[in-house]
Amino acid sequence: MYVCFGSMMISQVFILSSKGDRLVYKDFRGEIGSEAVTLFYDKVTALSGDQPPVVMTHKSIHFVHVWQGGLYLVATTTAADSSPFAIIEFLNRLAALIKDYCGALTEKTVQMNFALIYELLDEMLDYGYVQSTSCDVLKNFIQTEAISSRPFSLFDLANVGLFGADTQQSKVAPSSAATRPLQGGKSEIFVDVIERMSVVMGANGVLMKAEVEGEVKVKCFLPSCSEIRIGLNEDFSIGGSQLRGYGAAVRVDECSFHPAVRLDDFDAHRILRLSPSQGEQSIMLYRLADHLPLAPPFRLFPAIEKDNAGRLLMFFKLRCDLPPKSTAVNVSASIRVPKGCVSLSQELSSPDQSAELQPQNRVVVWNVPRFPGGTQLSAVFKLDVPALTSASMMEVGPVGLTFELPKVTASGLHVRFLRLAPMQHRGPAQRWVRYVTHSDSYAIRI
Amino acid sequence: MTANMQEWANQLCENRQFGSKMTDSKYFTTTKKGEIFELKAELNSDKKEKKKEAVKKVIASMTVGKDVSALFPDVVNCMQTDNLELKKLVYLYLMNYAKSQPDMAIMAVNTFVKDCEDPNPLIRALAVRTMGCIRVDKITEYLCEPLRKCLKDEDPYVRKTAAVCVAKLHDINAQLVEDQGFLDTLKDLISDSNPMVVANAVAALSEIAESHPSSNLLDLNPQTINKLLTALNECTEWGQIFILDCLANYTPRDDRESQSICERVTPRLSHANSAVVLSAVKVLMKFMEMLPKDLDYYGTLLKKLAPPLVTLLSAEPELQYVALRNINLIVQRRPEILKHEMKVFFVKYNDPIYVKLEKLDIMIRLASQANIAQVLAELKEYATEVDVDFVRKAVRAIGRCAIKVEQSAERCVSTLLDLIQTKVNYVVQEAIVVIKDIFRKYPNKYESVIATLCENLDSLDEPEARAAMIWIVGEYAERIDNADELLESFLEGFHDESTQVQLQLLTAIVKLFLKKPTETQELVQQVLSLATQDSDNPDLRDRGYIYWRLLSTDPVAAKEVVLAEKPLISEETDLIEPTLLEELICHIGTLASVYHKPPSAFVEGSRGVQHKRLPGSAGSGESVESPESGSTAVASGVPPAVIPSQDLLGDLLNLDLTPTTTTGPPAPSSAVQMGAMDLLGGGLDSLMGDESEPPPVPLRTDTHQSPQPPHHSPSPPDYSPTELGGDLGGSPAMTAGFGAPAAAVPPSFTAPVSGGLDDLFDLGGGVGMPMGAYVPPKMLWLPAMKAKGLEISGTFGRRAGVVQMEMTLTNKAMSVMTDFAIQFNRNSFGLAPAGPLQVLTPVSPNQSIEAVLPLSTVGPVMKMEPLNNLQVAVKNNIDVFYFSCQYPISMLFVEDGKMERQVFLATWKDIPNENESKFQLNDCHLNSDAASGKLQGSNIFTIAKRTVEGQDMLYQSMKLTNGIWVLAELRAQAGNPNYTVSLRCRAPEVSQCVFQSYEAVLKN
Repeated sequence: MYVCFGSMMISQVFILSSKGDRLVYKDFRGEIGSEAVTLFYDKVTALSGDQPPVVMTHKSIHFVHVWQGGLYLVATTTAADSSPFAIIEFLNRLAALIKDYCGALTEKTVQMNFALIYELLDEMLDYGYVQSTSCDVLKNFIQTEAISSRPFSLFDLANVGLFGADTQQSKVAPSSAATRPLQGGKSEIFVDVIERMSVVMGANGVLMKAEVEGEVKVKCFLPSCSEIRIGLNEDFSIGGSQLRGYGAAVRVDECSFHPAVRLDDFDAHRILRLSPSQGEQSIMLYRLADHLPLAPPFRLFPAIEKDNAGRLLMFFKLRCDLPPKSTAVNVSASIRVPKGCVSLSQELSSPDQSAELQPQNRVVVWNVPRFPGGTQLSAVFKLDVPALTSASMMEVGPVGLTFELPKVTASGLHVRFLRLAPMQHRGPAQRWVRYVTHSDSYAIRI
Repeated sequence: MTANMQEWANQLCENRQFGSKMTDSKYFTTTKKGEIFELKAELNSDKKEKKKEAVKKVIASMTVGKDVSALFPDVVNCMQTDNLELKKLVYLYLMNYAKSQPDMAIMAVNTFVKDCEDPNPLIRALAVRTMGCIRVDKITEYLCEPLRKCLKDEDPYVRKTAAVCVAKLHDINAQLVEDQGFLDTLKDLISDSNPMVVANAVAALSEIAESHPSSNLLDLNPQTINKLLTALNECTEWGQIFILDCLANYTPRDDRESQSICERVTPRLSHANSAVVLSAVKVLMKFMEMLPKDLDYYGTLLKKLAPPLVTLLSAEPELQYVALRNINLIVQRRPEILKHEMKVFFVKYNDPIYVKLEKLDIMIRLASQANIAQVLAELKEYATEVDVDFVRKAVRAIGRCAIKVEQSAERCVSTLLDLIQTKVNYVVQEAIVVIKDIFRKYPNKYESVIATLCENLDSLDEPEARAAMIWIVGEYAERIDNADELLESFLEGFHDESTQVQLQLLTAIVKLFLKKPTETQELVQQVLSLATQDSDNPDLRDRGYIYWRLLSTDPVAAKEVVLAEKPLISEETDLIEPTLLEELICHIGTLASVYHKPPSAFVEGSRGVQHKRLPGSAGSGESVESPESGSTAVASGVPPAVIPSQDLLGDLLNLDLTPTTTTGPPAPSSAVQMGAMDLLGGGLDSLMGDESEPPPVPLRTDTHQSPQPPHHSPSPPDYSPTELGGDLGGSPAMTAGFGAPAAAVPPSFTAPVSGGLDDLFDLGGGVGMPMGAYVPPKMLWLPAMKAKGLEISGTFGRRAGVVQMEMTLTNKAMSVMTDFAIQFNRNSFGLAPAGPLQVLTPVSPNQSIEAVLPLSTVGPVMKMEPLNNLQVAVKNNIDVFYFSCQYPISMLFVEDGKMERQVFLATWKDIPNENESKFQLNDCHLNSDAASGKLQGSNIFTIAKRTVEGQDMLYQSMKLTNGIWVLAELRAQAGNPNYTVSLRCRAPEVSQCVFQSYEAVLKN
């Protein structure tokens, strides 16, 4: 006797605006009525912050959703054996496809392109079974032309180098190369190396944990792309080899590739070959723990004391250990302070820095917009804490840092070259390679 | 209205404004009606572009929930076009409205059929896909021919769409799909050359197989498995998930096959799609069970599982949470997989709280001697974070580490002491709670810290922490000089404390008294009188009385009971129960693994509710051995407590030294009188050395007593029962001791009457004794609210030819109940009590009593609505109460209800057709023989059986106590869980009730 595996039986898919308006609604199995939309919206808006929002249930209806671009992308299912992974993954692909086709995922683009999105959904799901989410496959079936919200201009490209501050919040889309639809425009290809860094540093400056998660993304605007070749560092190695020499070989612990990547030349020459489909795709994921090739980018030298007036004094020296030609941007340190802090006065080493006390979160946030490598900043914070005890001194710390390091990879991974197969009918395509490292969780204990 | 619509509407207005001079009234005519009218015009336009725009607008309205079904004919008119974009839009509209407009939908059928022949495969697929979504019965017959062609289409895109269409059609009309032979075609598609077609065929077949549980639609044998494994390498990621999930349902024949499947599945672990990874993990976790542990490959596999699980943690928080819930299961089943990966579960300061808590849980499960230092350092950091819930859990985790890893206990204790120094209120309280557990685990080791704990006495405001502190003081009373002062300070506000604290305080003071009898006499009397006289809580009163009695009759025994050695607490906590864990492992990656509940717990209806089990190991037997096996030992390790065997209640009352010994119902009020006396005078002497007391007799156990739940956790919610168990043998046992008179029910009834046995008996009806009549479970008939504290639940049964009413009477009031009697109102079948209600002893508060009342069927008759309704009056010393209940009519089926075949035939014909009632019995998974056997147990006799075209027909008869015959024909189709029951009876009004009995008997 066999039990059905309902891992993919999606009953409905709908897209709601943040206000709960239906933008797209499609029922695939006729099991649940359209009242599910209201049910979902009521549930999701009633969630408190510490409840996991992943799956929600109402009687036999299970809601799985992702929140992207200010929209709820929701799938419902009635099958207990449904895989939330598969559904979340599917919704993420749907979001990516809408971005690829319409240029961006916003309430406006979805409204303008609802017919296209219906058509996409129709090909992606049949009776709730996922058929395909590959842009290459789907473009054979899609008839509707996308309507772009604004014409593509060079101005957009001018911004692409500066990964905007908003990407800090969503780990999902750290680089949206250019918000424009696939169709039309000029032929360009972007290769982005994006790394996220997690570090825990002890009070004495000892590195307790360091981890880098990296991703190589290709965003392809070429009308018809034959093979591209991406050369990585020649000394790139995977796995923990015991014979690590003195040279700073680029090493990762684990690495996985998109199934479309051909690795024939990888072993010998560290070359990835693939024929990218139009749109954005992640071609390589890697992870590296503990042994980073470079020192962690920031170090903090704290001193905490109590002054005669019973105030809490915090002296901080923050050093940026990047190479001098690199610069960290949007650096923000949140320093946990004891409860009951009422006011803050500060002395900062340069005028572009700022600091504020957020009593409800029990943190002092110290912002540094630009922080060149090899330099050092200092700050003095004086906090008024009524009833300051020695125990509450223990409540100071840890310090969490968020930052962006443009043109830097923490793992040392670089793209040596990006070659396109010669194209017959058009001129040379523009090629872009970009690097960025974000903080994922960078904590320094005190 | 979407902005799109809004724009369009605005535009309309603008055009009008500029185009012509308008009056104000016209300005406001963009009402719904006007909109529809305009759309209609546009839909019938000659221009293709305009048509297309119009259909788009219609769909926009449809999306926001407006009713645009009135446009159905106009939209359908646009269908015949060579523009694919327009066609798709029309199909989209059709899918939505065809169900509500079935007659209109017929209009579209011709185009469908035509489109299925279109040279363009996109159009063929589109047509066949849409047809299946139009859930209109009338259309299905037109579907068959085109579908048959499309299933054999040359284009794989059409074939894969057609494969799914079979599943859709099956949902609308299963019979049609079988009759048309589509299932066989679908099975052939598993061997299709195109992997996408294979994946869809597998998906469709498994969904169909689900509604035919006994059919062999998707026969997994080594050959098909091989095909699936081959397709696995070629199909899309989504197809891979289908196939992997399908593989997970297969049970390999031996460890070799198991290994070879594992080898072919392992490459999926490095897939970028986390759903593929999790499905592969599920297959491997399941098939690993069959591999011998000493196999090299087993070790290799373990190593290969870790990296993909770790990689899942780099996803966004939502996926991370889902991954962590799954990892939590995997770690419980096979901790060795991730034992070296502790670091990845360290909490990041910016993780959402639900991720943090889940990580913390996994950290504790992975804690071992090797990594404990690291873990402790982390936990100490967490304990100073901001989020209260997280901090609490972190502190508690430190305690769990101490209990789990003995070597670390000392370090854990000192860490906890550091945390207590912070004086952060909730940290201190949480620390004290876990330190109590540490004391339980390592007695007489860390008492030096007690002084520090005592300093914080005043800051404890949570019951759990207060109770823990009191326990510590009581337990170590001999080493705390001012233990009496400390406990006395709690006693002042005794009545404001929660029950937990009160119970603990009572026990602690008794302990103190037993250890230091000379100084604390007054204190113990104070607490005993507070507990017994001034408290409304029965548990507290019971415990108070027990101590009182113990101390006054046999202080040596009291010492043995109260200061008995406590059972050790188990190391692992919050483990999922092993069978549930096994089931959940089979559901890795699904919703069940996120909720940590089996699918049956949260799914309504029939889909997919089936318990799965891991396959047994082919190698060594110890592989299934899990670390939690020690926990049951703990449960049984509760030392037998001792109390005197005399009738305690009576004795307690006799204790009253004043000569007020009134006979009659014992009431708690009589206890008040004894409070003033120095009850312990004698007891104290004997405690000091007089050994002449009678030897303690082991506690008698009674069938009333529910077995104590196995004790898994040292975590505080659980500790108080164990604590009690250690001290007293458990308060339920005591109640049973008091309730011993319950055994005074007439001996002839004891077996079926007493609670525990009764349950067994019912079970026997289903399993051990197939011939027993069906007795429904007890239902609550009379809630205590409505009957001044008397609660009655009960059922009816027919045992050995006697109809009887079986009741549980529970006294939820404060006073004793006596003088029970029962009476019935007139009813349809003349049911009446055959004797008086046998409740011989008074029912004391919180006691339950079982009563069985034999019934006769010769009482006065009156037709009731519903027919099987019975109105009952019960009287006791307090009042008369009324309730009504319904009995299963099957209890009235007599033993000689088997009709002769000839008579049956004649009677069947004789009863007019209009007296026949037909019923559908759904979801009955018995075959006809089993059903017949079950029914016979309830005196429904099968007279003949016929099998026609795979359909079993049973002819049955039964006779009611009043002589009415009921004849039945039961049709069962092999593999179809739906039975048809036709009943013929000269008194057709009983049919409904008889059918209900069928349903009850067959489904239980």
